Amino acid sequence: MRINWQLRRLNLKIVYYGPALSGKTTNLEQIHLSVDPKRRSDLVSLKTHEDRTLYFDFLQLELGKLAGLTPQIQLYTVPGQAYYEASRRIVLRGADGVVFVADSDVRRMRANLVAWRNMREHLQSFGIDMDKFPVVLQFNKRDLPTAVPAATMSKLLRLNGQPLFNAIAFKGKGVLPTLKAITKSVVGQVQKELA
Amino acid sequence: MHPQSNDSYQLRSGTSISPLQDEAFHNLLNELLQQLPAKFMMLVDVAGQVLVAKGEHSNVNLVMLGSLVAGDLAASQEIARLTNEYQDYQIVLREGEESHTFIAESGNYLALFVQVGHEVPLGWARMLITKASQQLEEIMQENEPSQEEVAGFELEMATTLEEADDDLSDLFGDALDDMWMD
Repeated sequence: MRINWQLRRLNLKIVYYGPALSGKTTNLEQIHLSVDPKRRSDLVSLKTHEDRTLYFDFLQLELGKLAGLTPQIQLYTVPGQAYYEASRRIVLRGADGVVFVADSDVRRMRANLVAWRNMREHLQSFGIDMDKFPVVLQFNKRDLPTAVPAATMSKLLRLNGQPLFNAIAFKGKGVLPTLKAITKSVVGQVQKELA
Repeated sequence: MHPQSNDSYQLRSGTSISPLQDEAFHNLLNELLQQLPAKFMMLVDVAGQVLVAKGEHSNVNLVMLGSLVAGDLAASQEIARLTNEYQDYQIVLREGEESHTFIAESGNYLALFVQVGHEVPLGWARMLITKASQQLEEIMQENEPSQEEVAGFELEMATTLEEADDDLSDLFGDALDDMWMD
């Protein structure tokens, strides 16, 4: 979070985290498609030749004037593939909140769990208390015939009351509710800090 | 404290730029722009948010460049950390035919991007950019808003919020709804 008191500008950084191919980039692509072009930046994607995220995707949203502030939200994704561990840690630095995008496919449960633990470890290594840090979960690919019930996934990840949204990101379903939830959670945290 | 020396540095940048700091950034970058001289320069925070841009940038997408500068510097810092070559005020230099670009670390929160013409000696540029990076960090540290100023800002914000007669997070949620095209 950065506040420029001169310009009354509030900048927030939200990171989409999760295992490879869970739909993090798809979320940003859908946001890019759905938001008024005057209110967003171009989408920056650093990809490999195989169209996989190499470093990060980035999109900035301009929310206009709110309560005397001009907020900007910066959305980042991390690369999901296991060997980009260092890059994930870099992108996570400075985050004000995280959306964890889990893959509902039964074959990806272990990958979800590994990524979830991995994220917790990074946050803890930064001195962040996960219970006080804004985290929202998105269970993506709910249309798959092999999708694991949400309750089972919640139990597997040992969720502790974090907001949870079902999504079919490539169709745009669940993308906005997830974005709204993490934004509101981050803003609530900012309010607490300013109080 | 820099990232290489302790992993427990804060995740959240949590920085707050006061009007005094903002003015000092502008003054310093104006001076650097003339001294080098530079074609274009930009100050961003570690999350890629652009604070100040100087010089010719009408054809530059500042938002995109800001995110890439921050990412570039963060990757270089991590490479240096992993190879035990980390040092304060790191600079990444890219030499081009027409111009050269520098990305310099400035403390924990800021990064400075500078583009100079090929006629500018690299040693001269490196010296001035390193010095400017140190000064930028000093501005961040020394010109922090006083407790009274912060209290004033917060009171102003609290008053504005009261007048808005709504919860701030709901306002953000409504704003996202408004900008969403079905």
